[in-house]
Amino acid sequence: MKRFLRYINVYELIRPIGQLLTFSVGSAALMSAIVVALALVLDQTAVGVHLMDKLNVTVFNYTLSNLPQVVIDGLTIGFVYAAIALGYTMVYGVLQFINFAHSEIFAVGAFVGVELLIFLQSAGVLAGASLFMAYAYLLLAIIMGMLAAGGLAVAVERIAYRPLRGASRLVPLISAIGVSFLLQDVIRLVEGLTTGQFNRIMPTFGNFDERIIFGKLSMGASKLVLGISIKSIIVIVVAVLMLVCLNYLVNATRVGKAIRAVAQDMPTASLMGINVNRIISLTFLVGGLLGGAAGVLYALKFTRIDPFVGFFPGLKAFTAAVLGGIGNMTGALLGGIILGMLETFAGSYMGIFTMGAAGSEYKDIFAFGILILVLIFRPQGLMGKNVGQKA
Amino acid sequence: MALLEIANITKTFGGLKAISDVTFSLDKGRIVSIIGPNGAGKTSFFNTLTGIYKPDSGAITFNGKSLLGLRPDQIAARGISRTFQNIRLFADMTVIENIMVGMHVHYKQSALAILFRLESFKKEERESEQKALRLMKYVGLKNVENELAKNLPYGAQRRLEIARALAADPQLLLLDEPAAGMNPQETEDIIQLFRNIRDKMGITILLIEHDMRVVMNISEDICVMDYGVKIAQGTPAEIRNNTRVIEAYLGRGAVAGQHEEKMQ
Amino acid sequence: MVSSYFKELFDKVNQGPLAYILITVHVIAGTYLVYTEPRSNLAFLVLITSFMSLYFFQADVRFKLFVGAVLALVIIPVVGVRNIFYLEVIFQISVFAALALGLNIVVGFAGLLDLGYVAFYAVGAYLWAFFGSQQFYVLHYAPGTQPSDLPFLLPGDAFYMFLLVGVVIAGLTGILLGLPVLRLKGDYLAIVTLGFGEVIRVLANNLDKPLNFTNGPQGITPIQRPTMPDFAVDWFNTIFSPLVGHPISPADMYNLMFYIYALIVIIVIIFVTRRLDDSKLGRAWTAVREDETAAIAQGIPLVRMKLTAFAVGASFAGVMGVLLAASRTFISPESFSFMQSIGVLTMVILGGSGSIPGVILGAAVVTTLNLQVLQGFSLYLNELRQSDAVIPVINFAWKDLSTQLDPAKYQKLFFGLILILMMIFRPAGLIPAKRRKRQVAPEESK
Repeated sequence: MKRFLRYINVYELIRPIGQLLTFSVGSAALMSAIVVALALVLDQTAVGVHLMDKLNVTVFNYTLSNLPQVVIDGLTIGFVYAAIALGYTMVYGVLQFINFAHSEIFAVGAFVGVELLIFLQSAGVLAGASLFMAYAYLLLAIIMGMLAAGGLAVAVERIAYRPLRGASRLVPLISAIGVSFLLQDVIRLVEGLTTGQFNRIMPTFGNFDERIIFGKLSMGASKLVLGISIKSIIVIVVAVLMLVCLNYLVNATRVGKAIRAVAQDMPTASLMGINVNRIISLTFLVGGLLGGAAGVLYALKFTRIDPFVGFFPGLKAFTAAVLGGIGNMTGALLGGIILGMLETFAGSYMGIFTMGAAGSEYKDIFAFGILILVLIFRPQGLMGKNVGQKA
Repeated sequence: MALLEIANITKTFGGLKAISDVTFSLDKGRIVSIIGPNGAGKTSFFNTLTGIYKPDSGAITFNGKSLLGLRPDQIAARGISRTFQNIRLFADMTVIENIMVGMHVHYKQSALAILFRLESFKKEERESEQKALRLMKYVGLKNVENELAKNLPYGAQRRLEIARALAADPQLLLLDEPAAGMNPQETEDIIQLFRNIRDKMGITILLIEHDMRVVMNISEDICVMDYGVKIAQGTPAEIRNNTRVIEAYLGRGAVAGQHEEKMQ
Repeated sequence: MVSSYFKELFDKVNQGPLAYILITVHVIAGTYLVYTEPRSNLAFLVLITSFMSLYFFQADVRFKLFVGAVLALVIIPVVGVRNIFYLEVIFQISVFAALALGLNIVVGFAGLLDLGYVAFYAVGAYLWAFFGSQQFYVLHYAPGTQPSDLPFLLPGDAFYMFLLVGVVIAGLTGILLGLPVLRLKGDYLAIVTLGFGEVIRVLANNLDKPLNFTNGPQGITPIQRPTMPDFAVDWFNTIFSPLVGHPISPADMYNLMFYIYALIVIIVIIFVTRRLDDSKLGRAWTAVREDETAAIAQGIPLVRMKLTAFAVGASFAGVMGVLLAASRTFISPESFSFMQSIGVLTMVILGGSGSIPGVILGAAVVTTLNLQVLQGFSLYLNELRQSDAVIPVINFAWKDLSTQLDPAKYQKLFFGLILILMMIFRPAGLIPAKRRKRQVAPEESK
């Protein structure tokens, strides 16, 4: 055991967990402080009166009692974003190229995982499965989703991006947009021909939908139950595991060193005997694996998927990557968590705070507001370095 | 009064000092070279001068006016043109169009004149076409006005870049390794061209160059940089005998230089 | 090999009187086919491709202009009234050609990838939709609850003024949106513009409260059209009804009118585009596209030039938006989706970014593909499905074919394929942009 441990860089295992913990707690605390302060202020205004009339509760109480649930939801979706954002950020780090099709890679992962589970369900295995087997099936679905998405990502790079390396920057980007559109309809076509419908529902099995209850709160007339669903826990645990593995791969292995070398300086890396093409394929593979897993987790969390399911999560994950500083892996984690939090907070509280004038329907474009603000005031992102432009 | 005065400029990139406390002045009508080993901060110096980088501290004065805080295009409009170390032409535009882009700061055409092809517009276009042709001839490009810039041979691309820089009628021309990759004959020609530009057009030239034949042949003044610091300035003869320069950088170059002198 | 053989053959044919004869034969054949077979898609394709003959064959410019005018002003109106679907196709081609020309300025000339271009189209459309309908009086009603007897805010003829207002407002929107984002590098810009496009769509969907500006997902209707003078109907009837074969209804006349307006707008847009391209502005745009660092070193103010490109492109979309709102009399957020933006981008890329004839061709090809070829395929598959036919070798009965396999529903797939294939095999497009050759008169020696 001791000998084995010598080959493991324990620091690189602990470091990302520490980072994730810090980011989660930090952003949760910050966001909570902001909404609570806002709520206190709003209680003095017409907003408070309005809510008191409607629900017989102060804005402050309402905000506070919802807070734990909002934080947990924000964290769950934040980790999904982080996992997708890593795919964008890795490819960007190596090729300085936005893999626009990454959102469809994610969607393919989701579909493969869900279809597998639907198949198992129709085969009758899911219904009576023991808890252990249920988890095994879910794991299988995640792995299959990862493999499909990873393979697809590599294939897409090979076919649609590699021939364009060296062309002007817009050329591969446009090709990537093409791939994204193509894949959306290919999913639709395949689903349409095989199952006759585009919307797939994640089968219910195991104990994933149960909630662990922390406690009950009474708030005005209504009662509020505080808890976390098991599937949220699964999403968070799997995401954390993946992030730790990825961090280890990139920062503590030989292959990781090669990836970092290629990202730094491709021609020099190739002179040092690194097979650049293979490293690029590997980068796409890793990004695809993460994206695929995120797809299955997303399906687990939100149950319903359709061929366009990748579009918004993809855009938001990209925003998260930019927010954290694109090309920077820690930044992608931070960006994902912050964005997930911001979005959930905005979705939950905006309606109340604006007396229903603008509510969660603006949730999806909220991310873009953030993106634009970041790009204006800190284009290198929260953790990006300010790199001098080469003349 | 000096045309260009630089006082104590410093530029750092994340802890690395690309330019460190450099003071430098350049009189009108001179040809001055900046030399130094790779990574000495020469190109960063150009980039700071042309506004691509913002210096952390120090002052840059051109014609008595400060250039600090101006955008690169505003600095170009003040009369500083440049070429680039790795040629940057507008590859998919024709040769004549490249030069006409160089005249951008001088165009007076208004939206109205453009849309309705007013006489003033046509006249200006005609004149700039002819000026472009004159400049082509001047730098030694013939009958290629409608070729795409990317289709020109290497040496011609360098010349085109110089013509484009001249099109703005600059007072100061910055050349970043203009003789790189040229054979001896081409180098000879281009040295003649620089002399011509200074003598006939009265344009002050500041160049970065590695080729010691060019530097020693053409410069009236040489500024030596190493690790972002200016370590010497003087005439070619002085620089050749400056022990600090020989120590820091020229070591081998000085020997080569002396060797060449013997050959001549 | 094959293509060079065709090129030689084409060059052999494309000279002297033979070229004139081929153009004329193509136009006449197309006209005859469409006239005798008013329902045939194929016949219509023959007619519409005669524009390509007109473009590719060498002939005197005056001859080309004349034939083009006859085609656009006589033949198409007549066959269009005989089968209104054709007119609809041509009208849509015109609308998309105008959009593609606008996007071409942004993407093709200035090299800025704008993925939210239809946002400006939406601005134009909603502008006239709001002021040219009863919406102003609906502000305080939730969608669907307004009384039916509300007045209109402006007379229909204000439409003409709003064509200009549309240009200005869309241009201003372009500047407003561009200001914060045009400092960004190319690929960031793409994502942010995509975001803006979505923002506009979400706003259109949700700005039915607290004040009802857009009427939400249901959209705004009825939107007014400019009045049609009776004499125009009479005049057209006397001249054309013998050719058409029946009297022309006012509804058809409206369709014709908007087709003509769209043509005029396109001609103006082409005129403006060409003049701008051939000036300091166009040169500066191209320089920015080719190399930003070199361009700024020549004294070109990057942000201002990009803003101009953004504003010009946006204003083209704005004017088409106004036209669309009036011609459809109905506007909803659905018409301004991300897919529309990519559709217009596909037209530009397919035809040849930076090339005016190219993007028009791109618009024509993609629109016909959408409206005719894919639809035609769908209809054909449907017929097969209802027949007893069987695919011989694999023994597959057509009627077992899934109804999901409906080519008309797979536009994205075709857009995507076109984008990828063009980027890999022909990034300059079907008709690549050419730089103008300048003949500089030798100057007199001084």
